Amino acid sequence: MTVGVSRVEREPGWNKKGKEQMEVDNSFSPIDIAISGLRAQGKQMELISSNVANARTTDAGKGEPYRRLEAAFKLNDEMGGVELDKVLTDMSDFLKVFDPGSPRADEDGYVAMPNVNLPVEMMNLNIATRVYQANAAILKRYQQMVETTLELLR
Amino acid sequence: MSKTNSIIDLIEAGIRAENLRQKAIANNIANLGTPGYRRIDVKFEQLLAKSLDSSRAVELSKIKPQIYQPEQTPVKSNGNDVHWEIEVGQMIKNTLRHKAYIRLLNKKYKQIELATSVK
Repeated sequence: MTVGVSRVEREPGWNKKGKEQMEVDNSFSPIDIAISGLRAQGKQMELISSNVANARTTDAGKGEPYRRLEAAFKLNDEMGGVELDKVLTDMSDFLKVFDPGSPRADEDGYVAMPNVNLPVEMMNLNIATRVYQANAAILKRYQQMVETTLELLR
Repeated sequence: MSKTNSIIDLIEAGIRAENLRQKAIANNIANLGTPGYRRIDVKFEQLLAKSLDSSRAVELSKIKPQIYQPEQTPVKSNGNDVHWEIEVGQMIKNTLRHKAYIRLLNKKYKQIELATSVK
């Protein structure tokens, strides 16, 4: 006895490439989406830690203090996950601190400090942590779901 | 060689591919900090699909899982493009597929056992 593998006929246009080219579907896209979320939040954390580390950096090259960075994310069209669009620089005004003794002070005795606001960074850090946890939870739950399906094969 | 493959042969080919992919993932994670290292992946499903397209029967012995460098993930500053999150995702997917194949194989063996047992 032989076992034949028959191909399922699908409606035209089920795949952009047409019927003749069979595409490989790895069918685990919730995992890919959750992983894209983890990576995005990892990047966000990286920028937050850069902001916090440079909260008092008065010289970031170009003769001005450090400007805070912010991540902008965008939707990944092909699988529905998230990806980093670009890293934006916060162009808001620098904080002026009165410190006449500093070598970087201007003629009025003010030193320009980075536009990093630590409480804001802490809030963003909390959000990034929670979103990271949520993505990890989805990853774990989906894995459990597939395992439940596989239990039916026992 | 018969025109069609037995289920056991198909599952075996799948398990072999998953095995090799697991090795590739382990290799990638081991080289997480190696400068200039590009991540590797295993190409098997694509090759299988390609040979399924041309004719219904597949010569499974001729389809060998291939190791290749996708070079699609963004490269870090040290020329390395391994991201551990991606590897973890690959590993979860690989484990689930492997589990499915093992369960199917187990099912098939049970079927054979049922057919051959005399009671």
